[in-house]
Amino acid sequence: MNDFVEQCRREWKRLGVRDPVAEEMATELASDLSEAEAEGISAQEFLGRSAFDPPSFAAAWAAERGIIPEHQPSRATARRRPVFLMAFTGVAAIALVIAAALLLTGEPKLTLASSQVRPRLLGPLPPDVGRQVHTTSASTPVEWILLVLAIIALGFAARLWSTRIRARPPSAA
Amino acid sequence: MLDLCLLAVMDQEPAYGYEMTKRLRERGLEFVGEGSIYPLLGRLEREGLVETFRAASNGGPPRKYYRPSTSGRLALALGVTEWRAARDAVDAVLAPVKIEVAT
Repeated sequence: MNDFVEQCRREWKRLGVRDPVAEEMATELASDLSEAEAEGISAQEFLGRSAFDPPSFAAAWAAERGIIPEHQPSRATARRRPVFLMAFTGVAAIALVIAAALLLTGEPKLTLASSQVRPRLLGPLPPDVGRQVHTTSASTPVEWILLVLAIIALGFAARLWSTRIRARPPSAA
Repeated sequence: MLDLCLLAVMDQEPAYGYEMTKRLRERGLEFVGEGSIYPLLGRLEREGLVETFRAASNGGPPRKYYRPSTSGRLALALGVTEWRAARDAVDAVLAPVKIEVAT
């Protein structure tokens, strides 16, 4: 009997039922089961098929009472989420700093092509003749794209943090 | 239908969970345990059809008692009316039936 109630407690905890409510339900159930047992009625007779499936019984009871939080992630997901969110925020912040630093330097950073032309002229060539260096301004759009993406990512991260803080139960605050 | 029966037995006198199943069994409803009354009581509580309070039981620890709220009594009255109408209609259909079993 105690095992049945304990399994119900675990299920309520897993589902996020608040401790005082779970305790109230566990006490009610334990008292009824004790009285039934004292009168010679087994848990199977009292609870029927539910006696063989405590988690389902506990979940059904909590669901009907409307005491299960709407969004209930698994324990593993709940543990991993802050780590992922912190990492995501960190990467976005680094990307923002890099993009800003690149833009502040002003000069094109990338040389995309370099070629040398040997003209058919006789005589010595001035140093800047015969060598054509093709530089482009392609680095500038890349920096701007990185900056915009970093800002969007930081905004998304801020929204996730805000949602997480609001969803935190009062006892954890 | 079982929720209507629960409202009826707790309307006679406030009762805790196990006490309600005993009253129902005394009136011939032996199948109560198959679905368990707790989810039903939970739903009645969520819908505001019952009120609960803690009180000492006969020599035992304090128990959670249920009784119909005002809304619960109204739901009980409406439910009983509907049930009786349905029962009478079914009776009217089944009344002329004469069962003869060939042996």
